[in-house]
Amino acid sequence: MVELTEQQALLDDIVAKLELALKRRYGEATRVENVAIATLGASNRTLLFDLVEPAGRRRLVLRQETLKSEVSPFISPHDQFEILKVVYRHGVLVPEPIFELEPEDDLDVGYVMACVEGETLPKTLLNAPEFAVARRRFAAQTGEIFAKLHAIDPGEVAFLEKVVDSVDPLAAQISRYDAYCEYHPGLDVGIRWLENNRPKDKPRVFVHGDYRNGNVILSPEGIEAVLDWECAHIGSAMEDFGWVCLRAWRFGNIEQPVGGFGPRDEFYQAYTSNGGQAIDEEEIRWWEIFGSLRWAVLNMMQADGHISGVRRSLPFACCGRNTSMIEYDMLMTIDGHFS
Amino acid sequence: MSQDKPDIKEILVTVKQLLEGIANKSKGGERYDALCGAFLLSVIDRELEFGERQDESQSGELQQLLGRDGSLSDLYQQFCQQVRRGELDEQWPAAFDFAFKQVIDKVSVTNPNYLAEMHRAD
Repeated sequence: MVELTEQQALLDDIVAKLELALKRRYGEATRVENVAIATLGASNRTLLFDLVEPAGRRRLVLRQETLKSEVSPFISPHDQFEILKVVYRHGVLVPEPIFELEPEDDLDVGYVMACVEGETLPKTLLNAPEFAVARRRFAAQTGEIFAKLHAIDPGEVAFLEKVVDSVDPLAAQISRYDAYCEYHPGLDVGIRWLENNRPKDKPRVFVHGDYRNGNVILSPEGIEAVLDWECAHIGSAMEDFGWVCLRAWRFGNIEQPVGGFGPRDEFYQAYTSNGGQAIDEEEIRWWEIFGSLRWAVLNMMQADGHISGVRRSLPFACCGRNTSMIEYDMLMTIDGHFS
Repeated sequence: MSQDKPDIKEILVTVKQLLEGIANKSKGGERYDALCGAFLLSVIDRELEFGERQDESQSGELQQLLGRDGSLSDLYQQFCQQVRRGELDEQWPAAFDFAFKQVIDKVSVTNPNYLAEMHRAD
């Protein structure tokens, strides 16, 4: 009960400040209604609300940063907002960016964007009958989205060049792993394999960095919006391909490599026929193995949040033990048993 | 066995049943937490059963591979550092096999159903 009361008090405080922030921008008559907590995510808090003005009502989303760690792998909310503006301008399917929070809003750091209706829960998307059409379209639609995203001039998001993942993504993961002072033989063997098999340099493009089943809003007709741009950086286009095909993001539907939804050939063909560069399957395999390292380290981060007491949570405690299964995927892929 | 009944295994089963009962009657975050708690208790159960044997066997293999003694955590550290520096590249198949075995040991405690048929104990 104490916890619930505290959460309600926190929510009331946020809503009161949000209403003031909206009044400053849209006038004194503005009100906030129908507030709902969408997620209390690993790195962000997401609230849904109605912006009510005399002229009408609009469903919006408030995203606030909740993870404050020196080894955070996420770019700042300010940079995320800048990215939303760029990709929205280029017609990539994203929620419309509305405004960025400012210090006088007293709401920490974050931004407000439009609410896109649809579903993000991976298992629902993979199993519910009403998403049958969306499932069939997912692989090809993702190919089209990647082609559009990777065609954006990286100069438009030049601020991402300073992100460590833009400089050397493998070194960035190794440094995050080392920050936890844990020794995982499976991960180090994987790291050595990755070092010894680094792909040749490719043209550097703007990559989403976390495009996967769970970070995309689907309606029964197909993809409506791409979310969670906090891992965006500059790198090889093949990195995005490897991440969306990671076994963990197939949620048990392992025969369908593209997020558990569809086959690789439809995905690759949609990419190249929409102007994307040639597909390098060997490099995608490298990025899938890299993706296991990255996902294992993210699970260590969650477990560390629990163990250090910063974010006590049973699911985060489980994350620490889940690392072994991700290492298993990695070594099975290196050894040629998984694809 | 210096303690009275119920033994550890019986206590684990009892608390796990409690958590599963809570999960069946609840929703959302509370249900998920209860399921996570039950899962972690089953991990403890398997770790008590296999952990010691796995640690002994891994220690033996690492001592042979690295040519030195030490606690298992020291040996892990040594192995990881040497692999990272490329010092075990000459013995890559043996290094890879050890890491693979260590990971399979961990998964057989955490979630044995996750293992491919080729790595299942029975």
